[in-house]
Amino acid sequence: MTRHDSPSLVRRILTAAFACLLLAACSSEPEKSKEKSVDNLAFAELETMAAGTTVRLFMYGGMANVNAWIDGYVARELRDRYDITLVRTPMDAPAFVNKLLTEKQAGKKDGSMDLLWINGENFKNAKQAGLLYGPFAARLPNDRMYVNQESAQYDFGYPVNGFEAPYGRAQFVFEYDAARTPSPPDSFAALAVWVKEHPGRFTYPQPPDFTGSAFIRQAFYAVSGGYEKYQQGFDQALFDQNAPKLWAYLNALKPYLWQEGRSYPKDSAALDTLFARGEVDMSMGYHPAHAQAKIIEGSYPETARTFVMKDGSIFNTHFTAIPFNAPNKAGAMVAANFLLSPEAQLSKFEPENWGDFPAIDIAKLPEEWREKFNAVNLGPATLSPQALEAVAVPEIPSEYLEALEKGWEENVLR
Amino acid sequence: MPAKTTILLRLAPLAIPFLAVFCGGLVLAAAQSLGYFSPLPALPALSADAPTLSGYAALFHGLFPASFFFTLYVALASASLSTALGAFMAYLVWGLPGGFRAAATIYKIPLILPHIAVAFIILILFSQSGFLASVGHALGLVETPADFPALLYSGSGLGLIAAYAYKGLGFVILLAYAVLSRLDRRLIAAARMLGAGPFIVFTRIALPHMAQALGASFIILFLYAFGGFDIPYLLSESNPGMLSILTYNLYFNRDLANRPEAMAALTIMLLFSAVFVALYARIASRMKNTERKL
Repeated sequence: MTRHDSPSLVRRILTAAFACLLLAACSSEPEKSKEKSVDNLAFAELETMAAGTTVRLFMYGGMANVNAWIDGYVARELRDRYDITLVRTPMDAPAFVNKLLTEKQAGKKDGSMDLLWINGENFKNAKQAGLLYGPFAARLPNDRMYVNQESAQYDFGYPVNGFEAPYGRAQFVFEYDAARTPSPPDSFAALAVWVKEHPGRFTYPQPPDFTGSAFIRQAFYAVSGGYEKYQQGFDQALFDQNAPKLWAYLNALKPYLWQEGRSYPKDSAALDTLFARGEVDMSMGYHPAHAQAKIIEGSYPETARTFVMKDGSIFNTHFTAIPFNAPNKAGAMVAANFLLSPEAQLSKFEPENWGDFPAIDIAKLPEEWREKFNAVNLGPATLSPQALEAVAVPEIPSEYLEALEKGWEENVLR
Repeated sequence: MPAKTTILLRLAPLAIPFLAVFCGGLVLAAAQSLGYFSPLPALPALSADAPTLSGYAALFHGLFPASFFFTLYVALASASLSTALGAFMAYLVWGLPGGFRAAATIYKIPLILPHIAVAFIILILFSQSGFLASVGHALGLVETPADFPALLYSGSGLGLIAAYAYKGLGFVILLAYAVLSRLDRRLIAAARMLGAGPFIVFTRIALPHMAQALGASFIILFLYAFGGFDIPYLLSESNPGMLSILTYNLYFNRDLANRPEAMAALTIMLLFSAVFVALYARIASRMKNTERKL
């Protein structure tokens, strides 16, 4: 298709255009030589180095209670303990990964972000494109002391290798109103029956939305006999053999969904609104304490409750990571370490703060801390850690996730 | 020629950012759609030196074609609706006595509302748990919210068209009214005296006078509805969905390996918009050769 000499010419033009862009993009400040390799410093030295600095935390900003916790408790503690100023910038994870990508392509050595709240797809994308600093997790004392290394080894089946430090744990739950629905279904088979008996009263967010995608993954486990066989990386033959069962299941639901399955809510917030206004009878979320937070906030009725399917409920760990060009890596590591401390994890666990489940292993804590964690009152809408643990199943490797989202568009949406 | 250099230099503050940012972005998007500058240099299939059309091929096997025609339909329907209604209402306002004309400036409300606010208004009014459904329920017209006709998210694009049409209406009235205010009212009096009815007066005098302004506003509204993001973000159907949402999902919510596909979608949208403007300009110039082109 191309003449012999054209590729080089095309490349040259493109490179010139690209160079133009770079000139406009980066008002290249002189590189601060503060970067005297934090790579080999001990943690105590990092703490000294971090004193008096600013850490810029980029994170999803759509949850008011989480924002308040970061701006309040975390910022205050970091200032008092380490003399670190924490600046939170709300940004969706895919957006900051793209920003980093542009900075990397533009050769920008001095970035604007120090710490990221990240996991799953976004971590995989960032790691593959070489956007992350590390490995650093093992350098954090709290990571070494309290984290169950085995459970934080993979992020959606993708090896973590120390390029992110655990931060919290989430698990998938369904939300319902006990006053409207006295006995919700307890398995995906029962859900199919329930949906057919209650046409128009159920739907799920449209994949690739995070929550909608998690819903179809769970259904995939349920209709194809469990999660175990998918954990060894992507197997096309296995996928081709089992995916049609999922399409059949979801297509059977489709005519009985909200709007007869012609439209799906765009994301979990849209579904929450439909549920809160009574257009549908169930919502779902990847945060076990989300319904309780919504009750406290006043948008869900007092009788809102959560349930899990006995076929299994997916859990995942969310993490913090440091960009390759973070200007303050020492401060970022100190902050990441603080977020893993028993104090921060306990404060995060309390439902009035956030209700996010701990990333540290409670069993590894001293007795007094274990008691404190056990004493936390999660509220009536949140299931107990034991009930959640009993059905917890790991996430699917992200190649499957991608294949399921694509397949859903081709086989269910159309 | 020194004069030319001076002009170029004077243009530079405007031209350089335009060339670097806008054209640079364009070239980069097109290049990425062909597989250059892939964000994943690690993947051999994507770092090919020769251009690859696989991004475009993937688009045409996916949801893109249906989405393209749906977006076209929504944009054409909403722009036509605003232009037609706007022309008529501008004419009505122009015909009002002075005092009423001042009061009629309420038509400017949708002009100052942001698109996202218009989308919320439509959502609050027309959803099945919305204002109209509640009124219908209170009056006993509908029994449960689900019995209220599904105007939004039903696959018909009605919500999108309503939002764009309402948002565009004020814009058309503003432009058309400005043109009409330069129209000599005595022309109409003369036509009336010669026996023209109100319909003839509108179609033969007012409309031709407004035609250029209407054409320009149609094209602006069409292009905005074709590429806009905020209204679809709240009101888009799932299948087929609006192109902007499809592209957003490809770009942000998918694996980086899909980047050529996302860029291909952007490139096609841009090319289409350019072709549309060119086509339109040609038709317009052919229709009235003597008049100034758009």
